[in-house]
Amino acid sequence: MMKKNRTVNLTKKKDGYGINFNAMASPCEVLIQTPDKCLAELVGQYVSHEVWRIEDKYSRYDTQSVCSQINTSSGRNIAIDEETFLLLNFADQCYQLSDGLFDISSGVLRKVWTFDGVSSEYQHFPNQDDINKVLELVGWHKVIFDKQSISLPSQMQLDFGGIGKEYAVDRSILLAKQHTKRPVLVNLGGDLAVTGPRDNEQPWQVAIEPPDCSGVEHKQDMIVAIKQGALATSGDARRYLINAGIRYGHVLNAKTGWPILHAPRSITTVAPQCIQAGILATLGLLQGQQAEAFLTEQEITYWARR
Amino acid sequence: MNNLTKDIKKEVAQKVSKKINLKAALSLATGALFGTSVTTGAVGQTIEADEWQFDTAFLLYSEVDRVTAGEAIVAGTKTFSNDEVLNLKFTFDTLTGPSANGAIAQPKAQTFTRASGIGRYRTPEGETPLDDTFHDTRVQLNGQWTQPVSDNVTGSVGGHLSKEYDYLSLGLNGNLAYDFNRKNSTFSMGISYFSDTFTPEGGIPKPLSSMLVGDSNSPEWDDEFAKTRISASENKSTSDLLIGFTQVINRRMITAFNYSYSMVDGYLTDPFKVVSVLNAEGLAQDYIYENRPDSRVKQSTFMQAKYHFDDSLLNMVADVSYRYMWDDWGINSHTIDSRFIIPVGRASYIEPHIRFYQQSAADFFTPFVIEDQLPVDFVSADYRIGEMSAVTIGAKYGVALNGGNELSFRLEYYHQRPTNGGFEEPEALNGLDTTPVIDAIIAQVSYSF
Repeated sequence: MMKKNRTVNLTKKKDGYGINFNAMASPCEVLIQTPDKCLAELVGQYVSHEVWRIEDKYSRYDTQSVCSQINTSSGRNIAIDEETFLLLNFADQCYQLSDGLFDISSGVLRKVWTFDGVSSEYQHFPNQDDINKVLELVGWHKVIFDKQSISLPSQMQLDFGGIGKEYAVDRSILLAKQHTKRPVLVNLGGDLAVTGPRDNEQPWQVAIEPPDCSGVEHKQDMIVAIKQGALATSGDARRYLINAGIRYGHVLNAKTGWPILHAPRSITTVAPQCIQAGILATLGLLQGQQAEAFLTEQEITYWARR
Repeated sequence: MNNLTKDIKKEVAQKVSKKINLKAALSLATGALFGTSVTTGAVGQTIEADEWQFDTAFLLYSEVDRVTAGEAIVAGTKTFSNDEVLNLKFTFDTLTGPSANGAIAQPKAQTFTRASGIGRYRTPEGETPLDDTFHDTRVQLNGQWTQPVSDNVTGSVGGHLSKEYDYLSLGLNGNLAYDFNRKNSTFSMGISYFSDTFTPEGGIPKPLSSMLVGDSNSPEWDDEFAKTRISASENKSTSDLLIGFTQVINRRMITAFNYSYSMVDGYLTDPFKVVSVLNAEGLAQDYIYENRPDSRVKQSTFMQAKYHFDDSLLNMVADVSYRYMWDDWGINSHTIDSRFIIPVGRASYIEPHIRFYQQSAADFFTPFVIEDQLPVDFVSADYRIGEMSAVTIGAKYGVALNGGNELSFRLEYYHQRPTNGGFEEPEALNGLDTTPVIDAIIAQVSYSF
């Protein structure tokens, strides 16, 4: 495995500092409104180390991670710590709330679906038999866990990708709040949260990058003003495939094993915590054609791009 | 957009919104994840709290040829910011229709005096004597306050008031629950005390005295009737102790064990019930008012398991319990109760229910007394403390509506079969139905909002 580039860059901004690092395959940024360079460095250290800690613990690519331990347990009951239990419990809640549409065991579906954004006809479009075979390995309800341990049926796999980054944002905000009362923004590849408004109750101005639509049309960045809480985006316009003229986005229905059709290319939502915003956005995408109706009905503030 | 698409869209939106308030549910889940109580509200986020939650129900219980009861319930629950919960419940019921008076069927028609002492009623030959004057209206109020006492201890206190035309019941209860083993285990202990006053129309009959049967319009009637009375009202008190243990086995299974000890003191006799006194051939000579001991100690053990199956078994929740009750009157009973909650689609569930009940008779229970057995001490022919078995079969259908409201319908059939219990019947009772079955239908509509 490639050695991770774990360095932190500090830059002076107009009224504070920015700390940049890479984690979870994304560019990450911490903004802190303070003239105190030492404080900025300290907060940058705390946040970056926390994000890397979570990455190491829950990455499915890292063979040493808790996630990999679970995935290679071959059905054995293995011990988990409290943090892992709490995350599993949260994933369980999301599974229940979405009636099984959101399922952290659905990652194995990638074995049959590869979304590389090729605009030509897809060569290996899966058939129902392929999907059925993999679908047998999907099903959160088959996972038994409690506060001390988990048993994941053999060959099934968990993937914390759907909640890990947002969780890291929220953990970072908690840490930042413990160390400073100064306003801090944590942005992990577009999923972000703030500790509170900037000085004088000023909002943070956040640019949301539009999904890249193969350069056909250029959309403006969307600017969102945020005083507190979090913002998360779900969806990736670069990950899709086209078969028989139908565009399949990368969001998969964990129950059918098929991509959700007619979903927006991305959804951004706000919530008190980033992990909530992320789930709301994902649940929105999972409603496909009905995404906007669903989010409106739930009185959720969102921006959808189609 | 054409109309069909519009309809589908509306339907989906409704289907989704009925489910839950997603934001509120996620806030709770997030609070659990970070070990925080739910957050500083963010951009346009509000969390539903401090709202009353109401449950309403209407229930109809109807026995074939006997009593019909209607019951309306309104219950409100309000949760306060520090996890205090206030629960108030108002129940209104009415009971009408004929009820067994305790006497046994005869080959000849029988005449009885109404419980009030005013008027008579006649039971045709071969039929179980039923007093048709029952009409009761009851109002009940229950209030319960529950709050955390410390990190792992929850306390609760409550009051109860129930008033009928001829009955008043007042009660108090207190309960403490202790969570341990990371809240996977809960130990609880509760006590309650009830004080009941019975003031039947016509007064309390003198136990074992003969029912006066005659013309209630005659000038001597009132004096004669008064001789069969001991007082205008009687009291009883009930003290209960309940000890419970709940254990989460894993995320699919939860079990509960309870033990209860109940002491009842005072007037435990049913003033409306008589016992037939038969001659050697089995023909009724007299009807005497029943007489029960003035104390009763009841104990029961209860165990319950709930299991949430996965989709290999319809994602069903099975809820099975067993209760064993015994008392110092010689009654013991077994109850097996099973419910299966089966989700149907995203918004509804069906819940089949089956319950078996079997009880032995009280030591002083007898369907009748033969003259030469007199005098007797404690005696009752009330089928409710006789040997019997009963089964309830039914189902409930619940559907979640917009905004988290729930509507449910329940329909059940109840069949109760008294068994003879080894009493040898004199000749005159041959061919008569002396252990009549009771069939009843229970229908309920509930709405929670």
